[in-house]
Amino acid sequence: MNFSLVKNVLKYASGFCYRTKNVTSMCASSVITKGFHTTPSNSDLMEFFDIKKNWNETNIRVGRAWKLDELRIKSNVDLHKLWYILLKERNMLYTMEHECYEKVRLFPNPERIDKVQESMNNIETVIRERNIAYYKLETGETGERPVEDVVNMFGLPEKYKKQEYHIPQFMNSRWVRPYLEHGYINSLAVKKFYRLYKEKQYNETRRARNRNFNHVQHLLKRFPNMDLEKLKAEYPDVDIEKAKHTKKARGHFLPKY
Amino acid sequence: MSTRWYPIYQRGNPQLRVFLPNFWMKMVRPHPKQLPNIVHFQCSMEMTKYDIKNYLEKIYNIPVVDVRTKITLGRFRKDYGQGYIVKDDDVKYAYIVLPKDMTFKFPEIFDSKKNDEEENMKSLDEAKKNFSDYLEKNKDRTDVPSWFSI
Repeated sequence: MNFSLVKNVLKYASGFCYRTKNVTSMCASSVITKGFHTTPSNSDLMEFFDIKKNWNETNIRVGRAWKLDELRIKSNVDLHKLWYILLKERNMLYTMEHECYEKVRLFPNPERIDKVQESMNNIETVIRERNIAYYKLETGETGERPVEDVVNMFGLPEKYKKQEYHIPQFMNSRWVRPYLEHGYINSLAVKKFYRLYKEKQYNETRRARNRNFNHVQHLLKRFPNMDLEKLKAEYPDVDIEKAKHTKKARGHFLPKY
Repeated sequence: MSTRWYPIYQRGNPQLRVFLPNFWMKMVRPHPKQLPNIVHFQCSMEMTKYDIKNYLEKIYNIPVVDVRTKITLGRFRKDYGQGYIVKDDDVKYAYIVLPKDMTFKFPEIFDSKKNDEEENMKSLDEAKKNFSDYLEKNKDRTDVPSWFSI
């Protein structure tokens, strides 16, 4: 499935990552090409904590999150590395946040977590776009998880996200049983529920229609010189010509229409 | 995301690979006191012991001897004011055993006591100043409520 593309795309992406602190600020430096600076990677449990300089700070200034357009021009290998950098950064922020909570301190600049999360979401979006493009080229389909319209146990239409099963559908007696001729979904109880449900929905729309019609009549009564085009735009399903000539729309003035 | 949707594993299939893991782990202060080579974490509820071991070994390069996990039930508590019942989230804890020769001590991040005192006094002074300003501003209009002006 589409799983294999990501495998293709990321085949050359190795697992190692750079270690940088304040990752969000990196995007600023990526614009300036002259100095690309990373702190040497120290693989240690201390990676779960912020650098020592920031421990007692009350205000930690960082840059913005990675934008979609910046990520679109990166290679898959770069995105893969960046993902792990952001993942570590998020873990670090979670750890510091928890420690601050334990020690009854204010966690400085909590929006850092949101920035990292936004960057990670953007990376996922970009990878997904590439996945779809690849699949459309190779197979003519998007490669996304297929969605099917089904009738659920209450007889209502529902979107069902398809997934893999160990046995085919017709062999799954537990799944098939409610859909049989005398099964649950075709039973009187479900049909009655569906009828009443439709009736309720119909009544709601009917009341809304009447309410709007009455409201338009009263508006015409109170404001005879109103802009009728705007009124039409506000209440598109009301017949304004009809509403003009009703008894309710007549005010204490000579009828204009 | 499509990569979060894995095919079910059947014998003979290639091993599943995670390319963009979405798991989080955060280190917490060990409670109760533990041996020096044991580290406590909170982690994503979906992580298995194998996931935790691989996560630490592959991403953080930390040698892991053993992983133990437990899931603690979130507290049921009454909401302040409203009185309805609130259920806190369940938490998955992971106890990581490092090799015998490795030790880790949870660092003391906030240690400066003197600074605290100073900052408290500073904020107290600020509050006093704000209040005196407020009194000064509303000297001539005692009947105006405090929320009236900016």
